[in-house]
Amino acid sequence: MKKMLAVGLTLFVSCLCSAQAATTLRVFVGGQERPDVMKEIFVQYMKAHPDVNVQLEVGGATSEAQQQYLSTVLNSADSSLDIFLLDIVRIAQYAQSGWAEPLDSHIPNKAALMKQYLPAYAAANTYNGKLYALPAFADAMFLYYRKDLLTKYRFAPPKTWDDMVKIAQTITQREKDPNLKGFSFQGAPIEGTVCSFLVPYWSAGGQLSSTQALDPNNAKKSLQFLSDLVKVSKVAPSNSAEIKTDDTRRLFQSGNYVFAHLWAYGWNRFQEDTDSQVKGKVGVVKLPAMTGGKAATCLGGWEWAVSSYSKNKAAAADLVQFLSSKQVSKYLAVNASNLPAHTSLYNDPDILKVNPWFKDALPVVRSAQQRPVSPRYPQLSTTINSNVNAAVAGVKSVDSVVSELQSKVPALLK
Amino acid sequence: MTSAKPVRRELTEKQLAFWMLLPAALLLLAVVVYPVGRLIYTSFFDYSNGPLNPPYRGTGNYQQAIHDPDVWNALKVTLQYVLITVPGGMLLGLALALLANLPYRYKWPVRLSLLLPWSMSMAFAALIFAWFFNSDYGVVNDILRRLGMTAPNWLSSPQLALLATSWAIIWKTSSFVALILLAGLQTIPEEMYEAADVDGATPWTKFWQITLPLLKPAIIVALIFRTITAIQTFDVPYIMTSGGPGNVTTTIAMLIQQQTLQYGNFGYGAAIAMVLFLFSMIITGFYLRHIQGDS
Repeated sequence: MKKMLAVGLTLFVSCLCSAQAATTLRVFVGGQERPDVMKEIFVQYMKAHPDVNVQLEVGGATSEAQQQYLSTVLNSADSSLDIFLLDIVRIAQYAQSGWAEPLDSHIPNKAALMKQYLPAYAAANTYNGKLYALPAFADAMFLYYRKDLLTKYRFAPPKTWDDMVKIAQTITQREKDPNLKGFSFQGAPIEGTVCSFLVPYWSAGGQLSSTQALDPNNAKKSLQFLSDLVKVSKVAPSNSAEIKTDDTRRLFQSGNYVFAHLWAYGWNRFQEDTDSQVKGKVGVVKLPAMTGGKAATCLGGWEWAVSSYSKNKAAAADLVQFLSSKQVSKYLAVNASNLPAHTSLYNDPDILKVNPWFKDALPVVRSAQQRPVSPRYPQLSTTINSNVNAAVAGVKSVDSVVSELQSKVPALLK
Repeated sequence: MTSAKPVRRELTEKQLAFWMLLPAALLLLAVVVYPVGRLIYTSFFDYSNGPLNPPYRGTGNYQQAIHDPDVWNALKVTLQYVLITVPGGMLLGLALALLANLPYRYKWPVRLSLLLPWSMSMAFAALIFAWFFNSDYGVVNDILRRLGMTAPNWLSSPQLALLATSWAIIWKTSSFVALILLAGLQTIPEEMYEAADVDGATPWTKFWQITLPLLKPAIIVALIFRTITAIQTFDVPYIMTSGGPGNVTTTIAMLIQQQTLQYGNFGYGAAIAMVLFLFSMIITGFYLRHIQGDS
């Protein structure tokens, strides 16, 4: 018995030692960013690096929920997380707060590496000249449409928003289906609603950044457009002010909408989900333009950053480079239908076999614009989305929303 | 054995009290005094440029709060929730307690249905009601449509959003009120009702003359608890409406959460938390003066 104990103890101690010898890296991934697929990728890395143990921590499903958790952890200078997957809009805040570790010194061939990515992602991950994150995958907003219905009434996918409204009205009138509605977009007070506002605003010619102030005329055009969708043309439902990102996906998937304004992840769900009523009936094109303007879309995507409180920064930086490599990007494209941030992968035959539409997505992602960069982005986002929500709900007039945005936005872009 | 006296000093009563109270005092210091002190301290600093070495701002955060229309709007919304959900929760709770106290043969179904909402988390109840009032798939609108009535957008029209969220809060909190009142009801001696029966009192008179006066201590406890939680209203509007449409359902607690956890403005958030503290002190003070003073 004593002998057995001794053997057991030796085994236990040796286990402890080997566990201590390995570096443990804890990675935070949001619940909607496919933690299941990420885990498979960690396993690949651990096979190649037996001395590293990668642990996954799954966070909330929305960008806001993850932000709340991470800001609590990071404000208390907690070193338990080494790497986190961030929404593209958060880089400036994490850089300014000193939460994300600058990666420049960890990446020897930075210039060459950054050239592999779409230029927008190299720019989005740089703040005040330093590199703070590397891209996990790309994203942009698209117009999804019911191919079957548009073909039936001999319409081509719309090039302008006015066309979209006309097509939606015609089809809903002629179909005589009381459940069929025209267009779904996000109007709830959430991050996605910022894009609902910016897309028509950009398309009308507006710009918004620390050097380009909010243009009241184009802001008014955009808000009027959204408000008219609900109140005048009525192609969007009267409860549009309640619609969140995944609601649009769910509603379009139920087969009750002709058009939807949504991120790239919708495609995979429309084709693969067992409850999808629109399998094989969906088309996807770039978003229409405002009449007389240029088509615009919102740049999305998720980025890998190293915590500045991590105790294993070098190892974490190495893992981040692996996670943003071409090889992993391809794996994510094939297994999770995530748009790659690597330009060259858009012609990859293995990816195109699973996602044939990626070929047409490249010009859209290339033309996508970034939401304003600001260390105060969360506040800027709430200011814009709660006001846009008020305009869509009809609680505030378009003019009062424009003047409120004009008075509040400048201070948040500094 | 008398020669070898143990050298042990007896503690005086004061010393004993000190040592007995020390653990509790330390605990209070750690979980109440320190966080509150830290909150007040934080409220004098400016975190708006990030959490690294925030500069001292004096009373700047408080001045900003006084001039911030969002703070005034949130106070108004919070007061609306207090005025709607406190009387609502109290009345429904009283009705439920009286129902559960009736001499049924099977009391457990009533009591179980009382306990269920109470044991449920607030966020969970809010999710249920968010589906309940969903304009497309919600059961409320389904019933209205079947009756041939127009189905409104409960969560995106200003008055209805306030009503729908208030109803969820009333449903959820009335069972807590009912539990306290039920305990109060059971302390009322049966003999008093029997005596009243002998005098030929109607049920109505018995309720006003016996039940209500004897239930008053329990009602006050429930009222104070309910009011304090109403002032802190957060979960239900956060989940059902995210404070919308616009900021029609954004309460002061939601504003604090927004400023601290979303924007990282810990200093300003702390100052608004102090405003909330003041707000609840005023209302509680009002109760203690006008309600408990009578009894």
